[in-house]
Amino acid sequence: MTEATARPAAKLPVQALPWLPRPAGKMRDGIAALPADPLEALGALRALAQAGWDEAELRLLGRKIRNIVKSAPPSLTADARKQGFVPVHLLILSASTANHLADSLIGTAIRFGFLLQLTIAEYEEPEPWLARHRDELTNNPPDFVLIASDNRMLRLAASLGDEEAAVRTVDAALAQVMRIAEVAVAATGKPVILQTLAGDPDASQINMDLGLAGSPRHLASEFNRRLASQARQAGHLLLDIDSIAASVGQGAWSAGRYWYAAKYPFAVAMAPLYADHVMRIIAAQMGRSRRVLVLDLDNTLWGGIVGDDGIEGLALGTGSPLGESYSALQRMALAYKERGILLCVSSKNDEAIALDAFRNHPEMILKEDDIVAFRVNWDDKAANIKAIAAMIDLGLESFVFLDDNPAERKRVRDALPAVAVPELPDDASEWIPVFQAAGYFEQTGFSREDRQRAGMYKANARRAAQLERIGNHDDYLRSLDMTLAIAPFDQPGRKRIAQLISKSNQFNLTTRRYSEAEVATLQANPDAVTVQARLADMFGDNGMISAVICLKHGKRWEVDTWIMSCRVLGRRVEEAILQHLVQQARAAGAGELVGRYIPTARNGLVKDHFEKLGFARLGAEPNGETVWRLDVGQYSDKELPMKIEATAPAGSASAA
Amino acid sequence: MDGASGNTQASILDRLQEIFRAELDDDDLVIGMDTRQADLKAWDSLAHIRLVSGVESEFDFQFNLSEIEQISSVRQFVDAIREHLQ
Repeated sequence: MTEATARPAAKLPVQALPWLPRPAGKMRDGIAALPADPLEALGALRALAQAGWDEAELRLLGRKIRNIVKSAPPSLTADARKQGFVPVHLLILSASTANHLADSLIGTAIRFGFLLQLTIAEYEEPEPWLARHRDELTNNPPDFVLIASDNRMLRLAASLGDEEAAVRTVDAALAQVMRIAEVAVAATGKPVILQTLAGDPDASQINMDLGLAGSPRHLASEFNRRLASQARQAGHLLLDIDSIAASVGQGAWSAGRYWYAAKYPFAVAMAPLYADHVMRIIAAQMGRSRRVLVLDLDNTLWGGIVGDDGIEGLALGTGSPLGESYSALQRMALAYKERGILLCVSSKNDEAIALDAFRNHPEMILKEDDIVAFRVNWDDKAANIKAIAAMIDLGLESFVFLDDNPAERKRVRDALPAVAVPELPDDASEWIPVFQAAGYFEQTGFSREDRQRAGMYKANARRAAQLERIGNHDDYLRSLDMTLAIAPFDQPGRKRIAQLISKSNQFNLTTRRYSEAEVATLQANPDAVTVQARLADMFGDNGMISAVICLKHGKRWEVDTWIMSCRVLGRRVEEAILQHLVQQARAAGAGELVGRYIPTARNGLVKDHFEKLGFARLGAEPNGETVWRLDVGQYSDKELPMKIEATAPAGSASAA
Repeated sequence: MDGASGNTQASILDRLQEIFRAELDDDDLVIGMDTRQADLKAWDSLAHIRLVSGVESEFDFQFNLSEIEQISSVRQFVDAIREHLQ
């Protein structure tokens, strides 16, 4: 309960990142107290970075990281990787000034666990810069390219009322951006981030302009709408500056004096918010956005304490303003479920009473069936969240915990630093915009699997019940009536394949990331053997759950990538896929399969993958990599507890 | 802001020193009232804007565009800051 006597804190603007805890003290004192060891210092800076620092303080943090990395031995990056830091190299192409953003970006990146390396091309048209640096980009490609186009670079202008001229103007600007993106993809093969245009407070603010062809507002809105749809079609990522600027107000976003003085693209104070959005997109593309929302019950999902007030006494639904605000929060949670976010409950309550509210309160928008896991008891919430993570088999870094009680929030934050715990305004009716602004569930693509994810986890719970009933694992697997559909990469599967490749961290042997464009290239490459697999059973369709890429080197096939969704662990899918690979290798006259395990902080699960499949170890490399070999001639086919439907690769029939 | 004691030339210079070290990326830099832009290689036109924004954020006011253009010494910074804080 929040105390009635507490004076509500002043409302924080979005650029202050109000969902983060407020900083304690000054950054320079935090920096002065850092340990001397560079790796320990980075860990301490990561902890410091969890607060909502303003631009000047954030820049000090970023600068300190930059200096530590610069003066540390080259082994620092590898050591940092073992501590869970992920090096990310970002190329920024800007026709305005961008270097002043570097330290804010680096300081924000470490909050996401990234050690950010930046290459910045500023104050120059991106195309000639890309042409000059093409070889360098091909040899040492960045992980992401951000095309930071803005109003000044694109200079949209057309005569008022001329529809055709307006279309031509927007066409030309779009063509320019898409051409830069294409060149960047051709040079680097990496994902490209495109920006929408911020609403311009310098443009005429006449109400009719949105519908008047050729007016600044009309041109910018047409450009943004078409850029978003072309980006989605071409597989580029979108940074929606227009929406970010609107969230703080166009006037606050605009650089004003700083444009005239130094060609800054937006106001200095906005850098933390901008950097946060850039990192969200990068994190989402790398499979590091959040996937689970754990909700408290009393005074979080409804007003009041159900154990004291009873179901009838709760504030929920029409009839009271407070009740309506809790309904709105439940609707928000339900909307995230539709996007594939798993909803769970952790509450200090009597379980029977809490479930009774779910089942019998007429105004409950969330139903028992929408919740993947309940932990309702009197235990510590951090322990309950850990239990939920084990139950649904997702790491704590996938979790967001929403609770009205500042003390509970702090306890969970201290005990489980990997869990995101948003700070909330005192008044529950003001939570939603703060929670939404935090962008925990950033998504860079949307597939059928996303919409069905909650159902899949529910089906998994039913499978677990079946296993418990049958007892014997092999009998259980046979009882599931599984069908595994195996096919080479194809166009309809491409988005989901790219999603698996970019997001899987645990069952991922090499953690090599490929963009949608690279997946398309692999599909057409005659020296690549590609496999996508879908698994269905009596409880439902699991969707596409595995992707494998082998590269042919004569009679030796090397497993470049082997990824599987952890949802189907223990179902012998990997054995079925190996059998399929062996059959293909035999048909093509290949003699051996060579596999490689590259350890990361998150893929310990598959350390023994090749050994379990019968590969012999060839050797190990100093960084913990292991290499494995399977003689195709020695492999004997296994009887597997599933039906396998294999689609032959195109062209294999004529070759046979 | 606290009272007049927070706005003495010396106390402003102290805070300015920290801003100069951060924005010019030099932890050992020592500035005085007589330090001019021409004396510091790192104080180029882009660093100048970073100094301006660092001062604005530290002292919580806004320079106008002509001040941004005209300031070219520590003394001018201090004088402008005192004027804005009055």
